[in-house]
Amino acid sequence: MSASQSAVRSRAEAVKVSRTFDWMIMFTLFFVILGGYHVHFMLVAGDWDFWSDWKDRRLWVTVLPIMAITFPAAVQAVLWWRYRIAFGATLSVLGLIFGEWVNRYFNFWGWTYFPINFVFPSQLIPGAIVLDVILLVSGSMQLTAVVGGLGFGLLFYPGNWPMMAPLHLPVEYNGMMMTLADLSGYHYVRTGMPEYIRMVEKGTLRTFGKDVAPVSAFFSGFVSIIVYFLWHFFGRWFGSTAFTKGS
Amino acid sequence: MKLIKDRIVKLSFVALLITVTAAMFYTPTASAHGEKSQAAFMRMRTIHWYDLNWSKDIVPVNDTMTVTGKFHVFAGWPETVAKPEVSFLNIGIPGPVFIRAGSWIGGQLVPRSVSLELGETYEFKVLLKARRPGDWHVHSMMNVKDGGPIIGPGKWVTITGSMSQFTNPITTLTGQTIDLETWNIGNIYFWHAFWYAFGIAYIAYWARNPVFVPRLIACEAGKADSLISATDKKVGMGFALATMLIVAATMQSTNEQYPITTPLQAGLLRGMKPIEMPARTVAVKVDSATYRVPGRAMQMTLTITNNGDSSVRLGEFMTASVRFLDPAVHEDDTGYPDDLLAEEGLTVSDNSPLAPGQTRTVEVTASDAAWEVYRLADLIYDPDSRFAGLLFFTDEAGNRQMVTIDAPLIPSFI
Repeated sequence: MSASQSAVRSRAEAVKVSRTFDWMIMFTLFFVILGGYHVHFMLVAGDWDFWSDWKDRRLWVTVLPIMAITFPAAVQAVLWWRYRIAFGATLSVLGLIFGEWVNRYFNFWGWTYFPINFVFPSQLIPGAIVLDVILLVSGSMQLTAVVGGLGFGLLFYPGNWPMMAPLHLPVEYNGMMMTLADLSGYHYVRTGMPEYIRMVEKGTLRTFGKDVAPVSAFFSGFVSIIVYFLWHFFGRWFGSTAFTKGS
Repeated sequence: MKLIKDRIVKLSFVALLITVTAAMFYTPTASAHGEKSQAAFMRMRTIHWYDLNWSKDIVPVNDTMTVTGKFHVFAGWPETVAKPEVSFLNIGIPGPVFIRAGSWIGGQLVPRSVSLELGETYEFKVLLKARRPGDWHVHSMMNVKDGGPIIGPGKWVTITGSMSQFTNPITTLTGQTIDLETWNIGNIYFWHAFWYAFGIAYIAYWARNPVFVPRLIACEAGKADSLISATDKKVGMGFALATMLIVAATMQSTNEQYPITTPLQAGLLRGMKPIEMPARTVAVKVDSATYRVPGRAMQMTLTITNNGDSSVRLGEFMTASVRFLDPAVHEDDTGYPDDLLAEEGLTVSDNSPLAPGQTRTVEVTASDAAWEVYRLADLIYDPDSRFAGLLFFTDEAGNRQMVTIDAPLIPSFI
């Protein structure tokens, strides 16, 4: 076989090679995204995602979507503009959540014995699917950023509420009221994390009384729009190919 | 020659393998909390823990024990450490081997951060419920915002039994009794598995046909738009619509299932009640203080005045949780950790009873290996070379009186 000949000899063989290549790339891509996204998310969202007593109706709702839309936007850009594939955001979030579960189960529970109901990861898949579908249907980065970014922020809190609500049942404990999530934080000792580090229920958003979660979600959605643009461009730049001119 | 060279190479390789293997299998237990590595001046001049008591040495799983005692917030708090205006009474254990069933300062429950006053002394209590079997070092501990953790003395406590037997029953204000150890875990697994499967299904739709190579070729050829069919869009919209419907429906059903929920609770607790200490009748002036590096001993010249109505003797000097005792005056019967107790570590040049109204200048030496073991000798390398501690005087009736001292320290290297 000369160098100019194809490595495959039939269409069937070409399809087989292409599929093998697909799975290899998917497998590699999944774990590469998992690694990068997971490190990024632990650094920027960290405790808000680690502990149930950080998952409040203000900052958790605000911070997590803003920090989580980054890699989905970038991976979406690469896969869309280079391959016209609309599952970049979902693939990223599946990678992140898989990595988080490995970490939470083997490290937080298996190694340090924090119960899973205290250290489970936040749910981001509903927002990611909607983000992908808006890009798929519109084919527009602007529309995906505005509608998808907003949706990513808005879907976060209700998407997590079925898991969080049971932890927000009130308890009277030695004369003080707490939620079960607060009580977990108090009971399951974190030597390196004093209570004052917890950033919950802080801020000046008091005009809306108890209904602050929707306002926080809208704000999160607005900022997610901006962050989406930024990371989408990172993705496009990262996925571009530049050739230098030979002499 | 080549044979020798080859043998050396082979043996070196074997040695390397043995070393790597040994390093992999040698996993000694890490049992400290870094208490010795904390700057000595910080341990000496911030929080002084004393009269500590660990109620049990052995605790079965599900049984409780207490750590009680007092802590004095030193008035000469170092400038380089943030003041304890926002602090948290913690417990120094390796993770949740116990659960903290309660903690109190001055009788008030302190699940949140508190504000402490310099110069005051507080009583504290931490109630622990045994969870994970093993031998654990249990320290008292105060976290100070922007100041770091200030760890108190630690004692080994053994938990027996099996962690699988541990339960943490809690009754909510809605009347349910739940086990916090396992509450909601099935629900969490279900929702994560559900959404994960949903996400995989979405990707599986795209992955059923060749993904990368033909699509890249088509995009490069300017035919990208032909890659998205009307069916793709319909399926995608189906996924998005289903996602939003499921989210809305589960939000609604969750609210129906849990109509009463409250937000996370947070906030600083102020007004901690300090102990009302009796008026001090003994006054102490530190004339000089020297740390003799070769002798592992601190020598102080103290001028002591007894303004009370009963003669007193100096029985103890305590700094950074290390207690130096004069056994002729005071013996410890509380089971204080051995490594922190110098039972004969305090000598006083004249420790005869100091009568009321009398003033005496004495040479006091606190010597023990603990200076080195607990790295207190590193004080000479600290940015603020002062020492501080508590002196305990005992009167004729056996009452103890605590006096704080704080003075510059001059190291002696010869």
